[in-house]
Amino acid sequence: MAFKTENKNGVTLCYVDGEIDINTAPALKKSFDRLITQKTPKIVINFKGVTYIDSSGLATLVEILKNMRVYGGALRLSNLSSKIRSLFEITKLEKLFQIYTLEEEAISGF
Amino acid sequence: MISMEMREKSLEIPSESNYIRKTSEDILKDLESLSLDKTTLFVIKLCIEEALRNAMIHGNRMNESLPVKVRYKVADNRFSVEIEDQGKGFDYKHLPDPTVNENLLRGHGRGVFLINHLMDEVRYNDRGNIIKMIKFLSGGKDGIQDGK
Repeated sequence: MAFKTENKNGVTLCYVDGEIDINTAPALKKSFDRLITQKTPKIVINFKGVTYIDSSGLATLVEILKNMRVYGGALRLSNLSSKIRSLFEITKLEKLFQIYTLEEEAISGF
Repeated sequence: MISMEMREKSLEIPSESNYIRKTSEDILKDLESLSLDKTTLFVIKLCIEEALRNAMIHGNRMNESLPVKVRYKVADNRFSVEIEDQGKGFDYKHLPDPTVNENLLRGHGRGVFLINHLMDEVRYNDRGNIIKMIKFLSGGKDGIQDGK
């Protein structure tokens, strides 16, 4: 799994590549811990490069969201593949996360 | 209808998390000749990995000396896989629903829920330390959207 960030109009864009599972989720959590410590106010995670996610990965995203809510940060997700989007629908996590089809839509609404 | 059959195969793996991916990859490799669609393969991979994770973490408590036993086969248009841990088992009949509002922020409980939702049949032994999952290779549940 690879992770990089970029800033655009006050929004921190996070690009994750690869699979988010029990083996890679701790590294993802660690990458976000830094952003959370800095109280990064607006984050969009772009899932374009994410090919797989399991329940550990979903739990890590929930943890990130919870930690951001503590300081009033906002988290949005974009570019989910149809399979990964289905997992958010099945688990009803779509009620918890703001999910956008495209990164531009996620940014423009902030 | 997938006509090919595959003799039952058995594996014993240690309770180490890196064996989760290795095992699912080995099984998917065995299924390559069936030319299954990507969505079916995604579901099989996810459910095997969720069940292995539960067996290692909750069943064997990540005790590397305790094995997880895996048996799988293809027959009658079905892929079936049994995963057995050495633990006391769990009360699979009374699991909290991770999709209700008060549980949405919880960090666990989605693995078994996904398995139940995505597999065509899911059974446990009475003790609750063996899960048997069946995926129909055609005409099964349409639990996940197709696509990339």
